[in-house]
Amino acid sequence: SGGTGALAQWVLVELQGEVEPRQSGDLAGSLLGDLHYTCEGVPVLIVGHHILYGKVVQLEKPFAVLVKQGGAPQPSPTEPHGHYTVTALIKTKLLFKTRPKPIITHVPKKV
Amino acid sequence: AAMRSRAEVDATLQTAKLNPAELLPVVQCLSFGPQAGGGECCLLQLEPGLCAELEAGRSLVIRGEKDEHAVLCSKDKTYDMKIADTSNMLLFVPGYKTPEELKADLALGNIIYSQIAGFSKNYWELRRCRPKLKKLRKLLMEDPYEGPDSRKDESTFSKYTTEDLLSLIQASEEEILHQLQVIDACKIEGYWRILDFDYEMKLLNHVTQLIDSESWPLSKVPLCACLEELGSLEPREMIEHILLSYGRKFVDDGEVFFEMREDKICRAIAQMLLQNAVKFNLSEFEEVWQQSVPEGMTTRLDQLQGLALVDKSSRPETIFLLKVEDLPEDNQERFNSLFGIRQKWTEVDITPYIQDLCAEKQTVGALLTKYARSSMLNGVKVYNSRRPIS
Repeated sequence: SGGTGALAQWVLVELQGEVEPRQSGDLAGSLLGDLHYTCEGVPVLIVGHHILYGKVVQLEKPFAVLVKQGGAPQPSPTEPHGHYTVTALIKTKLLFKTRPKPIITHVPKKV
Repeated sequence: AAMRSRAEVDATLQTAKLNPAELLPVVQCLSFGPQAGGGECCLLQLEPGLCAELEAGRSLVIRGEKDEHAVLCSKDKTYDMKIADTSNMLLFVPGYKTPEELKADLALGNIIYSQIAGFSKNYWELRRCRPKLKKLRKLLMEDPYEGPDSRKDESTFSKYTTEDLLSLIQASEEEILHQLQVIDACKIEGYWRILDFDYEMKLLNHVTQLIDSESWPLSKVPLCACLEELGSLEPREMIEHILLSYGRKFVDDGEVFFEMREDKICRAIAQMLLQNAVKFNLSEFEEVWQQSVPEGMTTRLDQLQGLALVDKSSRPETIFLLKVEDLPEDNQERFNSLFGIRQKWTEVDITPYIQDLCAEKQTVGALLTKYARSSMLNGVKVYNSRRPIS
C-alpha cells in the first residue's frame, strides 16, 4: 500500500559485479566507499582499490522501494505475496559502468 | 565500525591521485546499513502514471491468492508482475542530494555519512494487463438471488461485500465496480448479488406485460407507475433494478422514465429460449423468438453476438447457446476451447468470442495472427488452430 505524506526520495547506485565485504562476516555495517562529485557533477566512487567514474541518470521509469510488512520470512523471489509499504521513490540513479581504475597503493621505494 | 574521518578521505584521494580541487568539497561515505542484507526491501519499477499516483498519496495493492500469479492494482488499472534480473548490483540509498544541492548547502560541511538501505540484483517489472474478472462472476454465481420468497437466502456463506471482492479479485477497485455494473449485479443487504436468470426473466416479464397493458411507449416507461402497479408482486428495489438493467434512465419534467433497451431485451429472451435445448432449427427459433419479444421490438441475429452461434454448415441450419462468459479467460485456453467447438471459424463468427481478450491497444486481427492459422475455404478466409487438437 502507498504512503501518506510526502514520500522520501532515494537514489539508486548501480555497480557492475558483486559487492563483497572486505573482512569475512556480514555486509551490514561495513564501508562501501567514498562518493565524490567532480565540479562538473560527475560522480566518482572510490571502492577499495578502485576508482569508478559514473554518470547521473534520470530514470525513465522510476522505482518504488517496497518494504515487506510483518517481519515474515523472506518473500519468495517469484511471487510477492504479502503486505508491502512504499517507503521511498527513486527517480535518479548513479550508474558506474566504466571500468574501474585500480589504485596503486604500493609505490616502490627509491633506492 | 568507526566512522571515516575527513583526513582519511583526503588520504585516500591522495593515494588515488585525484585532485581535490577538481572535486566538490563534500564527500559521502557510503556504508551498508544494519538492515541492508535482510532482503526485506525490494524494488518495483513503475509504469507511467503510477509514480504520480503514489506521490498523490494513493495506494498500490498487490493481489493474488497463493495459487495465482500476483498482480499490482492501482485505483483503476491492473498490472502483471514479473521479476527482471540485471547483471548489475543495485544499491538503494536514502536521502538523495544532487551535486547542485551539495554545492549549494554550505551547512553540510565536508563529509556526510550515508547508509545503504538495501541492495538487489533484480526488481519487479510491471506490465498492464486485463483485470482478471471472470472470478467475479464465478463468486456471485455461487448463490444467485432468487427473490425474497426463496428459502435459500439464509446463510451468508457465499455472499460477498465490496471489501470481500476487493480482496479476492485480481483487479483494481474501479475495474471491479465497473464490471459489477456490466453484469447487472445489485447490492442486497450489503452483499453483491447476481439475479438467478429465471427470476430475472420473471421480473422482466412483469415489466413488459405492464408496458403492453398500459400501452406505454417503449421509449418512455414511468418508474413511479411501475413501482405502484408491481410493488405488490415484487420488492420495489427489484423492480427498479430490472428497469435499470434493461432500460436507460432519464428524467423528464422532474419524473423518472426508462427508455427500454430493445437489443438487450431481445437477447435475454433468446437466452431463455435457447437454454432449454442443445440446439434449435434456426428458422423455427427465429419465428418463436420474434413472437416472444414485446410488441414493437424486432429481433435480429446480431443481437446474439457472444451468446449464440449459428451453424451454417448443417442442413437445416441450427443455432445453439454459446456464452462467451462461460469460456476460459486465458488467451491460449480460450482459443483451444473455441477450436474444440468448431475447427474453422470466420473472423465475423469468432470476433465476439475473442473481443474481450484484446489488451489496451490490441486488435482482434493481432490476436488471430498470434493464436490462429488462416486458410481459404470456399473463397472465404477462415481461421483454425495453430496446433493439432487431440
